[in-house]
Amino acid sequence: MRRIAFFLVCFLALIVPVVVLASGGEGGFDGVVHSIERGYHVHATRIPFMGLVSFISGGATHGGVSNLHVAEFDNFSAPMDGEDLTRMVEQKLGSGWQRVVRETSRGGQEQSLIYMRPEGSRMGLFVLDSDGNELDVVQVSVDPDHLNDTINQYSHHRNSEDRPD
Amino acid sequence: MNAKTIALRLGALALIAAGFALIARAQDGLPLPSPVEKELAARATDVTEVTLDKNMLGFAAKFLNDKDEDEAGARKLISGLQGIYVREYEFDKEGQYSMDDVAKLRAYFETPEWSPIVHEHERKSGETTDVLIKLVNGETRGMFVLAAEPKELTIVLILGPIHPEDLSKLGGLGGLGALGNLPGVHQAPQDGKDKTGKPGDKKGDDE
Repeated sequence: MRRIAFFLVCFLALIVPVVVLASGGEGGFDGVVHSIERGYHVHATRIPFMGLVSFISGGATHGGVSNLHVAEFDNFSAPMDGEDLTRMVEQKLGSGWQRVVRETSRGGQEQSLIYMRPEGSRMGLFVLDSDGNELDVVQVSVDPDHLNDTINQYSHHRNSEDRPD
Repeated sequence: MNAKTIALRLGALALIAAGFALIARAQDGLPLPSPVEKELAARATDVTEVTLDKNMLGFAAKFLNDKDEDEAGARKLISGLQGIYVREYEFDKEGQYSMDDVAKLRAYFETPEWSPIVHEHERKSGETTDVLIKLVNGETRGMFVLAAEPKELTIVLILGPIHPEDLSKLGGLGGLGALGNLPGVHQAPQDGKDKTGKPGDKKGDDE
């Protein structure tokens, strides 16, 4: 009996990493980007110091915008099937994300996907957009109230500048 | 009880749970896409889908500035809605959908709670517009717009307390404000009691 249990544990210990690796393992933004890279044989352009940019944008907007991720695929001309792309994104994105907008053309030239996810008082936004030549993937977490305050602050500033003396 | 029986029971339980989840979703909020929509999507060259349930609308409303009079009105309106469902199918040539498809779509949404208030058909351009409102105890609880052009078919379903004259306020949501320009919606009755807008009764109907 103990031998069977031992073999069972060994089997699970071997099979779990294999299954995880086979399924790509990671999810979320990186999972989607790597999935696109693998699926369409393309490479995303990494934006240097993105973590720093995200940190600064968080500070500049008083927490209105944070957790910024951007990936850009230049010269993306691979034929795309809207259904396959949507399936690939949703498989990797993880739970909680809800698709709110999907725009797809039969030729696969133009694809737009927008997902939203409530994150407490914040909202996660995931956007994938392709115009037939370039594909961009952006993920961001926004606090609508803080962001509104920041936008208002700038619009008031602009209005006062526009006002004639 | 052997493993096979347990597996069968678990499978049955999962199926029942899934069934309840589907029914709950269909009753509480936005409907599941009709079978016709799948066929239309397969024939269309461009498809646009917008699906916003109550939660997402609540978040979207927060992006509207309540200090601005117009945006505050839209914010209040959006916060009270149960869901917005938009489907737009564009075709490369005419004749990619039939009037039978349009009738099936209308039939899918036209339950006893829904009353047609506008049916307009322009023979020259071949455009057809249908507007239905959902009435619950005499109050408007939803609006359905079906606009058919020779190479384009658009469905807009808005669930929640909304009046035709409120449609233009939805401009902040991806151009939905254009719905305010739909023919005949401004003449629509607010209390929904006037049923003169039955198909074929409107002035715009030149069929």
